[in-house]
Amino acid sequence: MDLSQYAELFLAESREHLSACNQLLLEWERHPASPEPVGGIFRAVHTIKGMAATMGYGRVADLAHRMENLLDHLRRGGKSPGEDTLQLLFRATDALEKAVGLAVAGRERELDVAAILADLDRAGAKEPTAPAAASPPRAAASLAAPSGSGRLVSVTIRPEAPLKGGRAMLIVRKVQSLGVIQRMQPAAAAFESDDFDGQFVFELDSAADARDIEAAIRSMGDVERVTVGDEEEHVTPAESVAAGGGGSGAGGGRSRHIRVDLRRLDTLMDLIGELVTARGRLNELAARWVGQDPVIDEVAIQISRLSADLQNEIIQARMTPVWQVFDRFPRLVRDVARQLGKQVAFRVEGKEIELDREILDELGDPLVHLLRNAVDHGIEPPAERKRAKKDAEGEIVLTAVRERSSVAISIADDGRGIDRSRILAKAKREGIVGPHVESLSDDQLLRVLARPGFSTAEAVTALSGRGVGIDVAMTRIRALGGSIEIRTEPGKGTTFVLRLPVTLAIVRALIAAVGLERYALPLTYVAETVELGTTPMTKMEGREAMVLRDRVVPLVDLRELLGTNGGSPPPPPRRPVIVLEMGERRAGIVVDGMLSQQEIVVKGFDAPRGTLPVFSGATIMGDGVPALILDAAGLV
Amino acid sequence: MSHTVLVCDDAIFMRTMITDILAQAGFEVVGEAETGSQAVEKYRQLKPDLVTMDIVMPDMGGIDAVREIVKQDPDAKILMCSAMGQQALVVEAIQAGAKDFVVKPFQPSRVLEAVQRVLG
Repeated sequence: MDLSQYAELFLAESREHLSACNQLLLEWERHPASPEPVGGIFRAVHTIKGMAATMGYGRVADLAHRMENLLDHLRRGGKSPGEDTLQLLFRATDALEKAVGLAVAGRERELDVAAILADLDRAGAKEPTAPAAASPPRAAASLAAPSGSGRLVSVTIRPEAPLKGGRAMLIVRKVQSLGVIQRMQPAAAAFESDDFDGQFVFELDSAADARDIEAAIRSMGDVERVTVGDEEEHVTPAESVAAGGGGSGAGGGRSRHIRVDLRRLDTLMDLIGELVTARGRLNELAARWVGQDPVIDEVAIQISRLSADLQNEIIQARMTPVWQVFDRFPRLVRDVARQLGKQVAFRVEGKEIELDREILDELGDPLVHLLRNAVDHGIEPPAERKRAKKDAEGEIVLTAVRERSSVAISIADDGRGIDRSRILAKAKREGIVGPHVESLSDDQLLRVLARPGFSTAEAVTALSGRGVGIDVAMTRIRALGGSIEIRTEPGKGTTFVLRLPVTLAIVRALIAAVGLERYALPLTYVAETVELGTTPMTKMEGREAMVLRDRVVPLVDLRELLGTNGGSPPPPPRRPVIVLEMGERRAGIVVDGMLSQQEIVVKGFDAPRGTLPVFSGATIMGDGVPALILDAAGLV
Repeated sequence: MSHTVLVCDDAIFMRTMITDILAQAGFEVVGEAETGSQAVEKYRQLKPDLVTMDIVMPDMGGIDAVREIVKQDPDAKILMCSAMGQQALVVEAIQAGAKDFVVKPFQPSRVLEAVQRVLG
């Protein structure tokens, strides 16, 4: 049987169980007296053991088995686990995770688990065992001569058979359908012990023929020898049970779920991307030819509709609930908090919210940075919290919420907040803001914090606070077409909000013209469009701005920002302004004209050095000409 | 007509493997259950010829599920899937009415032997 086909399934499912182990260990740590977690952990480890053994990963199975032994002791003992025991279980879970990874990669031999195995065994021996059912003495399977009408039957189960006691029990049940068992040696209770050696004798009252009794016993499988009464053992032909229950190999298995290699989904996404581009070209052609043959329009519309449905289905197939990434955070927050001597309650909300798998994968690292920051810089040490009349235990909440066409993920702590005056002083010293600035808005604060190398930490710890973190997180999030916002209040806490598009690959965009070039602006952040000059103009921090319904919106003229090619027409007299909105921030983008709204396929874009940081990618337009995609976060 | 099977195990991995083994031998896996209570419910709905039952499952364990199913249908044909070291549990399952057992890691030939025995 080729097991390699099951390796990915093994890996995926083992990870789910390991994640469950971590969650339950955390719960157990918080509520040591609760009896529930240990049962769940036991089941998870047990399942991994069974799967690993089936895959032939002996070392993984062994490690899981030793964990299971310890857990079984704990479960039966019914006592709260000691601190050492919990730490050991955390370590063992980590070791098991590593073991699973190595085994699937074909590197199980590199695994060194001797130390953790020894610790597990030691701990298992220390934990008090529940009074186990007194192990029955290993009685030789022999009985005195039959007392009455019964016949003595002796059975030996094959030495290599697993769980001989179970097999013996099956035989006993079978025989009971033929008659009454008067006495048995050893007693049935012995079948439950691992010491049972597979030999037993009983006295049977039955009218059945000896041959039938023997056949019935042999039919239960794994039987080496049977003697009934004084009869000689009948040599039966080797058991030949044909594999197969009739029918050919054509499987009739039905299942409503199948597992698909992620690369297949990526390829499908690429293909649908090409199709969307081709569809755009077809639509342009159809618009040109519709005069000659109206049917072409019909066909083009039908193809548009079908490819839109197809695209939707593929996007749905790629959607992944955020818990797949979030589930490892409780453990992370706990570990960081312990290292720093802080007390933190961590909550996750909106676990079921879905994002494109690719975005979710990319999101992990930035979230790790921000969570570490929250524990390290946000949450105060317990003593400081008490002085501030706060609960000694701080709180961090990670929330995912679906907004229109984006998902907002927030990380909120109830810690000390960011000290604006200190940041301002430092920003002035480093010349990031002018000397006359008196206070920083949330927005400016974030810009300062996000400067590479800008650190606010008084003490740089190994965990965070080296000034990496926010700038790295911000770069990643923006590369995904998302944005970061910050809200902070001294003494009350800090909240970071990340906004991300639900899917990366295909977005609806506004196509704008500037000179001879076309640019795409994803609609996710387009609030509205107005005509330049129809609203009052003003200045904001030295920049052109317009007043839109009592709000000042700074303007960015793309002609000035990006320049235009020689031979470009002069700006038209009436120029549209596209108002972008990202959280609290707004900007008006002045272009020459708006051409269309359409779906574009986002292609990765390695900007040449020196390119303005306002592009997030490129796309191919319906006529085959490429256009750059403007990054809303870089403009507002 | 091929025999119908209900596969009960909390691990997709195990369900997939058992389903593959049985399907290749011409059985028709008509349902899957992840917990003991699902197993009981699906048995009621599907009336399969055979049930494969894991012992350790969340919610309701395999042995309790065997008891429930046998209560509904004393002729239910249930094959326990156990791990090494579960001697006592297997004995208990058989007393509860399971007809046979196989031990993980599964060898397809042993699984099919046991299935044949159970189906008689």
